[in-house]
Amino acid sequence: MPSGRFNPFETLLLTSRSQADTAGLLLLAWVMACRGPLNEAQRRHLTALASECRHGHDLKPIFALADRQDFDAIQLAAEVMQKDRGGEQAYPFLRQAIAVSVVDGEPSISQHHVLRFLADLLGVIPSLFATLYAEQAGRPYAVPEDPSRRDYWLTKEHQRQQEEARQHEQDERRREQEARERQEQELRRQRERREQEARERERQRQENARQERAHRERAQQDQERTRQERARQERSNESHNRRWQQQTPPNDARAHRALAVLGLPPGASRGEIRKAYRRMAQTHHPDRFFAEGEARMATASQRFQRIKNAYEYLMRAS
Amino acid sequence: MRDLYQRLGLPHDASDKDIQRAIEACHHSALKADAKVVLGVPEHRDAYDALHGTLCDIGLLRARLGLTHGPFWQDSTANDFSLPPDNTGARHDLLIARVERAVGLHDGWRKWRAPWLLAMLLVGATVLGAAAGAALYHYWLA
Repeated sequence: MPSGRFNPFETLLLTSRSQADTAGLLLLAWVMACRGPLNEAQRRHLTALASECRHGHDLKPIFALADRQDFDAIQLAAEVMQKDRGGEQAYPFLRQAIAVSVVDGEPSISQHHVLRFLADLLGVIPSLFATLYAEQAGRPYAVPEDPSRRDYWLTKEHQRQQEEARQHEQDERRREQEARERQEQELRRQRERREQEARERERQRQENARQERAHRERAQQDQERTRQERARQERSNESHNRRWQQQTPPNDARAHRALAVLGLPPGASRGEIRKAYRRMAQTHHPDRFFAEGEARMATASQRFQRIKNAYEYLMRAS
Repeated sequence: MRDLYQRLGLPHDASDKDIQRAIEACHHSALKADAKVVLGVPEHRDAYDALHGTLCDIGLLRARLGLTHGPFWQDSTANDFSLPPDNTGARHDLLIARVERAVGLHDGWRKWRAPWLLAMLLVGATVLGAAAGAALYHYWLA
């Protein structure tokens, strides 16, 4: 003698206009719920599917039953489907079940087993089921994997590592790219600075050249005057002439600067100049700065050149 | 998919310590290696347990619906998760029986409601008549 009250799904079936549709909806919800509790998108999907059915009742009890995975309700639904939807009538339902399980990519393993159960339940042979699956999913049917084997987990771990490695590589490439861009920026800034310096130097040189020209003109004027004076003095005093000429070199300002370069007071003798030159050349020779880098060597080379020029000038002039 | 719990002789809710002990005691080297990876790692075991629960349900459903020899129920899955035929009866038969009983009760109530109503009416009229007679007697003859 049956006892107890009607349970919720029995009540639903009794109030349904089409028991097979109600049972089919519950089984579809079960297929969905194999991945975990139904989310909003899945509920909407099921509601859309239900709009083509003739059940004529609310879907909320079905969602609740599927979330609970209510075994009695599922068994009853399976019995109703087996009774009412065998053979060819099962195809539309199986199509829907396959579509529901492949909507988020490959079906999970439990969904695979549920689909296989439904195929057996409705008497659909494997070759037909494979055809239906290929039509719905767009790829051939594959036998579900076996997580009770070690290989399954090792493969999964391997895939995860590969995925991680790919991710890591992408990160690395992006970082490299950024570093290269930063370096290029730095180089560009340096080049700009160097150009700026070169322009500065150019201006300085022009300035120097102008000063130089002015000096030379003045010196020429001086020379002219001295020559005239000398000619006058030659005429007046022949004997003092040689000594005076030795004491005051012809190009006064330039000789003073050259002497200053060598660190000597005006009026130094040839011996003193040579001694000073040797000392300065030793301290400022570029080879001494070889170990301290390109820049230091370049400045030393400039100084040495200046010292050498000054010495040569003084040797020539006196 | 094999039932590793069954093959190791363990209940489904065995503790980790029991599982370790069973794995150590297992003589089948392949099963031992598989069980170490599947049941020894907590997250692997969680995933396996979820699938195991689904397959136990499907096994029971198949046993109750007479589908233990379907073409999709083969190999180790069928070996490990099939249950002996279950004669608890179909849920649909249960539903029909409940509906029949409810219908019987309803019809019985319907059937017996008319005589009951008649009897109630008679009793009501008698009581009313008695009360009226008593009142008349009280006011007019007293």
